[in-house]
Amino acid sequence: MSREQTPVFHLVDLRKVYGDGEAAVHALRGVDLAIAEGELLVLLGPSGSGKSTLLNVLGGLDRPTSGSCFFRDIDLASAPDADVTRYRRQHVGFVFQFYNLIASLTAQENVELVTEVAPDPMPAPEALELVGLGKRLHHFPAQLSGGEQQRVAIARAIAKRPKVLLCDEPTGALDVATGVHVLEAIVTANDKLRTTTLLITHNADIARIGDRVVRFADGHIRSIESNERRIAPAELSW
Amino acid sequence: MIRLATLDRKLLRDLQRLRAQAIAVSAVLACGVTLFVMATGMYDSLERARNDYYDSARMADVAVSVVRAPDPVANDLAELPGVNALEARVTGIGLLDLAGKSDPVSARLVSLPPDRHPRVNDVLLRAGRWPDPTRDDEVLINEAFAEANYLAPGAQLRALIYGRYRQLEVVGIASSPEFVFAVAPGALLPEPERFGVVWMGREALGRAFDVDGAFNDVVFRLAPGADIRDTILAIDTRLARHGGRGAYGRDRMLSAQFLADELNSLRTMASILPPIFLLVAVFLLNVSLSRLVATERSNIGLLKSFGYGDVSIALHYGKFAIVFALLGAALGVIAGSYLGGYMAALYSKVYRIPNLAFDAELHVYVWAVLVSLGAAILGAAQAVLRAARLPPAAALAPPAPVSFGRLGQGIETAARSLDGKTRMVARRIARFPRRSATTVVGIMLALALLITSQHFPISMNHIVDVTFGVSQRMDATLTFAETADDRILNEVGRLPGVVSVEPLRATEVILTAGSRQRRDTLMGLTEGAYLYRLLDQNMAAVDVRPDGITLSNNLASKLGVTVGDTVSVQATDGHRAHADLTVVAVVKPYLAGAAYMELDALGRALREPGRVSAAYVLMDRSERDALNREVKEIPMIAGVSFLDNASASMRKMLNEGSGFFAYMFVVFSCLMAGGVAYSAARVTFAEQERDLATLRVLGFSRREVSYVLLAEIGALLLVALPAGAVLGALLSRWLMAQFQTELFTFPYVTESSAYGRSVLFVAAAVIGAALAVRRGVDRLDLVSVLKSRE
Repeated sequence: MSREQTPVFHLVDLRKVYGDGEAAVHALRGVDLAIAEGELLVLLGPSGSGKSTLLNVLGGLDRPTSGSCFFRDIDLASAPDADVTRYRRQHVGFVFQFYNLIASLTAQENVELVTEVAPDPMPAPEALELVGLGKRLHHFPAQLSGGEQQRVAIARAIAKRPKVLLCDEPTGALDVATGVHVLEAIVTANDKLRTTTLLITHNADIARIGDRVVRFADGHIRSIESNERRIAPAELSW
Repeated sequence: MIRLATLDRKLLRDLQRLRAQAIAVSAVLACGVTLFVMATGMYDSLERARNDYYDSARMADVAVSVVRAPDPVANDLAELPGVNALEARVTGIGLLDLAGKSDPVSARLVSLPPDRHPRVNDVLLRAGRWPDPTRDDEVLINEAFAEANYLAPGAQLRALIYGRYRQLEVVGIASSPEFVFAVAPGALLPEPERFGVVWMGREALGRAFDVDGAFNDVVFRLAPGADIRDTILAIDTRLARHGGRGAYGRDRMLSAQFLADELNSLRTMASILPPIFLLVAVFLLNVSLSRLVATERSNIGLLKSFGYGDVSIALHYGKFAIVFALLGAALGVIAGSYLGGYMAALYSKVYRIPNLAFDAELHVYVWAVLVSLGAAILGAAQAVLRAARLPPAAALAPPAPVSFGRLGQGIETAARSLDGKTRMVARRIARFPRRSATTVVGIMLALALLITSQHFPISMNHIVDVTFGVSQRMDATLTFAETADDRILNEVGRLPGVVSVEPLRATEVILTAGSRQRRDTLMGLTEGAYLYRLLDQNMAAVDVRPDGITLSNNLASKLGVTVGDTVSVQATDGHRAHADLTVVAVVKPYLAGAAYMELDALGRALREPGRVSAAYVLMDRSERDALNREVKEIPMIAGVSFLDNASASMRKMLNEGSGFFAYMFVVFSCLMAGGVAYSAARVTFAEQERDLATLRVLGFSRREVSYVLLAEIGALLLVALPAGAVLGALLSRWLMAQFQTELFTFPYVTESSAYGRSVLFVAAAVIGAALAVRRGVDRLDLVSVLKSRE
């Protein structure tokens, strides 16, 4: 662990099996990991290596088959549904490859959807300002470019000042320049809000913006490396 | 084994996936087809059974009653142009004593020829045997009367005929086309417990009524192509000097008239109700298939890139509609035949027609399938064409995101005051106005239909309440065997328990105004009459006037006259007096309208003053039995009917039929509302699945996410309910006017419970359907929904 030594997540022998018998797919085969508060962790690995499954478990979207997965003192593996929903509502921000904005709400309203129910949110315009969209508040998703839509999604994810930001290939559908903007928004949130951030990518270059890089293969953690220096997204080229 | 084309296998799997929606659409289609099959099939069955019966039993085309005509006159009548066959008979009214019945039972006595079946209005033996021509006391009785009074061959009857008691033995149970609907004189509906038909030998009955060697009634069959008006004129001319009372056709034979009215109602039902359901099904199919084509967009592009032509694509999606249509038609044909059978059973309780069963012809079923297919094709056309025309390259590219714009200043201002979830709902409703309107219209129509169906029993009960409470207030009506001197009223006044007596003179007249002519009853009532009152539209009593004639609105419109016009009135009996009278008022009775005059003025106009044909009586009800005993001692009194009996049997008959329909419409309306709501909610859910999953990921609870789904249908429901209630009121009024017949006028009377009940049923159906769709929220696979490309 780097930066702070307080673990936000503490995972012990986490396993996830889909299906059973011969058709069983072992997505996670015993993952042990501790993640510190404010850390930016990059998850790398080929498709099917288990990184998305891990992200879904950490986000309370999926339950592990066995093992424990503590967010502070909540075990996401066994907490009741209502507690997991509350956890998502209060502490987690998601960013997906596909932006999943509500088409019938403007950029600002998409963010407000979250700020209306969060306990200590930042004003929606401020969140959008943070991702560089201060001038696009009243545009509907259909009126925004892909990169802009993804930044709205990030603004929506960080507006509640989440403890955790989970990003699943947020730049997968974007070109380089747009991707850099999006990563900047994520790094900004991580820096300014001290949000523990997990970022999945296929792009090994992007790994350099993180504090640590976790490599996955076949449901296992193959390696964990610490970056001596986090580089700014603007310095990336791929 | 037949190997299905790959596209058809896809069709089957897609149908399996979309089965709930297929059922919703097909259910609404099936309601329309059910009503179509039931009403059209019942119409066919009833008409065919009636016509067969009328033909095989030689139902009279024309009838006439005369005071007394010697037998040889019948030979002259047979020679008249247009007459094919006739039966000269003796008929009259008598009273029967039935064990255990205190209220008098009256009977129409009809003579049978001594050695053969009647040539006209044949009598069909249903049980027992034909009377022995050598025996005076053997009789047949009609089926309905036998059943209602548990009479079987061998039963003994004591009959009071023309002032003399006779002992009769029932030897057979019979039916006749003349009495499909057997109604006592002066009554409107059958009361088989208190009115029967008795057939007995001509000679015996002739002696009993003192018309030996003569007849007092003739029924005719006309030659094909004969002009009924010419024949009637010839009959009337020939019988004038024997006291002919004016011949008339089937349109004035109550039994035939009731049947004709019933057939008209069925035709009205068949032409108005199924289209409403089919229209909603068209909308539903449009919405469902448009959605299907939208989700299948990339598949369509793929198929086209493989070389499938536009026609194959159109056929593939058209087959969905065809499957929906065939499913709807199949369900509708099964349900329609079943309900038709039930309806036929109801009918055969009222209409005594042999072999009356639901037996729709093939063409009804063929039409049912065609109509269902037609509706499906109409509903599917737009979506199918869109699929066929989709350019393959565009279809393979992801669809342009649904673009939501601003909705106009007013709505936006309102939307801003809402929370985010409600704003989503509001914008979606406004973004898809046609779909929202379809949902609203579907629910509206379902509610309107249910409200309308609830209004018929209310209206019928109101008719009974008003007719037998406000308009008619007598306890009993004593009908005289023939027109009597008004001194008989004194005798009636002396009967036990009688408190007051009011006279009635009822006579058949021919009314003429310009080129229009109607035969109807002219009723003479006293001014200020208390026991039988005419009512205006506000239920206020309208007095008959000595200076002119009052008409029912039905009759006035048939004659094309209004207040101030003159009608010419010609009596059909007695002196056949003629008078020109001014219409002084038009009234609106619910039951069997007629013409009305002040009694003395009527006597003067017909040159028969001081004559009465019935007496209305107000009495001490505890003296009912004594009155019943005494009445039999007055030979002139041919029948007694008590208002409470008439009102009870009318209520029973109306409720029997309307109960069935009310129940059926609750089911159909709920199916329609539920089907519409289910389809709408399914489409909303499918389109919003990603949004709903996003909300769940963002931390919204299931309840909050369900709100987004349910609030849309809820908002549409809130719009549809009041609009449907207003439409229901209008539809009720309109439909009641359509069902108006010669004998019945349905007033629009309302009770808030009709609306309350209907709203409750429809809202429950909609909410139930929406909740069924809502279960999808619980099953949302957050991860896979969010990771898939939009």
